[in-house]
Amino acid sequence: MLDHRNPTPTPPKRVVILGARGIIGRALVRHLESEALPVLALGSAEVDLLDPAAAERLGARLHADDALVVLAALTPDKGRDIATLMKNLRMGEAVAAALAGRACDQVLYVSSDAVYPMGPALITESTPANPSDLYGVMHKTREVMMASAVKPERLAVLRATMVLAAHDTHGSYGANRFRRQARESGKITLSGRGEETRDQIYLDDLTALMRMMLLRRSHGLLNAASGVSLNFLEVARLVAAQFAPAPEIVFTPRTQPITHRHFDITALRRAFPTFRMTAHADAIARVHRAEGL
Amino acid sequence: MSAVPPVVGYAGMTHLGLNSAVAAAERGFAVVCFDPGRDCIAALARGEPTVSEPDLAELMAKNAERLSFTSEASALRRCAVVYISPDVPTDDGGTSDLGPLTALIAAVEPVLAAEASMVVLSQVPPGFTRGLARAEGQRFYQVETLIFGRAIERALHPERFILGCADPAQPLPPALASFLGSFGCPILRMRYESAELCKIAINFFLVASVSAANSLAELCERIGADWSEIMPALRLDKRIGEHAYIAPGLGIAGGNLERDLATFVRMGAETGAETGVVLAWQANSRHRRFWALRRLHETVLARQSDPLIGVLGLAYKENTHSTKNSPALALIAELRPFRLRAFDPAVKVDPDWHPALAQASDPLDACKDADAVVIMTPWQAFKALEPAAIAKAMAGRVVIDPFGALDGKAAASAGLEHHRLGAPRR
Repeated sequence: MLDHRNPTPTPPKRVVILGARGIIGRALVRHLESEALPVLALGSAEVDLLDPAAAERLGARLHADDALVVLAALTPDKGRDIATLMKNLRMGEAVAAALAGRACDQVLYVSSDAVYPMGPALITESTPANPSDLYGVMHKTREVMMASAVKPERLAVLRATMVLAAHDTHGSYGANRFRRQARESGKITLSGRGEETRDQIYLDDLTALMRMMLLRRSHGLLNAASGVSLNFLEVARLVAAQFAPAPEIVFTPRTQPITHRHFDITALRRAFPTFRMTAHADAIARVHRAEGL
Repeated sequence: MSAVPPVVGYAGMTHLGLNSAVAAAERGFAVVCFDPGRDCIAALARGEPTVSEPDLAELMAKNAERLSFTSEASALRRCAVVYISPDVPTDDGGTSDLGPLTALIAAVEPVLAAEASMVVLSQVPPGFTRGLARAEGQRFYQVETLIFGRAIERALHPERFILGCADPAQPLPPALASFLGSFGCPILRMRYESAELCKIAINFFLVASVSAANSLAELCERIGADWSEIMPALRLDKRIGEHAYIAPGLGIAGGNLERDLATFVRMGAETGAETGVVLAWQANSRHRRFWALRRLHETVLARQSDPLIGVLGLAYKENTHSTKNSPALALIAELRPFRLRAFDPAVKVDPDWHPALAQASDPLDACKDADAVVIMTPWQAFKALEPAAIAKAMAGRVVIDPFGALDGKAAASAGLEHHRLGAPRR
């Protein structure tokens, strides 16, 4: 559950974004700068979190009244192996060490819904984290790392589900991959008949959510999801509807069991009652246009 | 049994204490009602009930000669049976604060006659009564099964008495036996711990039924089934029963059920008993608690700028003015950025609840120009409303009516988008 230190939105003195060159980081920088919020955008070129001196270098750049957003991570498309896990943990270690030496006003750690087990339970912030892959283990471990270095009233953890974004490079199974397939081959390939249900969050909604958490100095845990899950066939049809002629939807033999994921986003509604989530169909159409298709 | 009817005392003029005392007077016993709160006693002495229950005021007036109200504990000395009946407050996690209860016992017990039976009526965890200092032969625990809105009826006509004793094989003191026997229902004697756990067991079965109903009702809403069509079939099944708690609700409410679940989880953790099913009930209750809020977001709040929400009902349930654990107030607290207009037949709007909550003059006034109306307490006055009149008063079409105060078909015919627990989304 999320609580706010600020009863009304108040801009932070400065927002330091770690992982500012990734898709979410770039969008967040744009979003905050469009509102004239001071931003220090740090990518690996500025602070390489795998460098042995990373903690010291990062610490030297942080001010006590900064809000730090931690987005830096090697995503699964960069590797799902143990070596990638260990690199991600070293990056987390560096951030935690920097924060232990120089406290920030707020730390927003962007985690993933991969920390939750894949099962029939409706996901809430109370759902026990029990990751089934190394990526989920990495995020859960880094969440604990942050909690060890940051006071609870200054730490917010945002567990994001699949992000719908233009020019996504991750290629995860879902709308982003379907759009690329449709564009490149005129076909969308589904596993089985696309029966699995998943949530997704539009990138602009995610950055808007992060902005609100920064302005309200939120602390605690929140899932970033829309609360509406569609099956992959429905998603494929929404993507296909953006193209003319419509791409063929191809069904292939299933290799994985059917799983589902639904979120109860009551905590988000309670934390930000006036926040409006973009409907999946609208989000898919906007992403399509943003890619100039 | 003693030939002269015993004088019965009640310490703690709570909802439970007052209704129990008035029922005892109605049964023909002289009753001493003690509470340290002088304002409370003064109001009761004037014949003004401090809680709202059907028939309570009338029975207080009818039995005025048998009822005496006092803020002096020593007045209990003439009682042969004294019930201890304060509220036991709980925190957000359902954990009991036994401090007020033990303080009241400490104040009352020394003034009681040596042979008087002291009966703890408040809800206590297993082990509490065994730990009290009074002689075991004069110390009892009695299970209460108060239902808000039916407190007098339940107190006058109990299904049975469940009495925790030091030794169930020993006969009851004559005065206590005489008093309980006057109600003409079975008296089940058992060990203190069994009686205390029996109270929890009763609530467990209620929670199990409610949780099953809530889970199935939610699925109904998603697959086009209607729980209201299924309930009659369940009630005709003898294994479930006509009085089973299978009406869907907004989670487990009221505090007492949550208290018992929290007590079980705590004792289970301490003793190594498996607690998984209770944790699941608690999770389901947390989920259902915000049903109306989710529906409001889905239908109006996430779609419309600056909506006006009409709220019908503020009380915890119909026929009471109590707002403790009120689902309406819980909802209102979540709607702080929005404009609200509310009406309740027994409760006035409190400005502290919400920065933009207006008092409506009547139910239709609460609906006036509303983009959505939520009926959070199913008062008869709301059931009597014509859906067409509501539709005419409203600016929007959405009516969130968890308990089905309105007939769904009539509401739909009036052009309303009617949302009820367990009903398919229309």
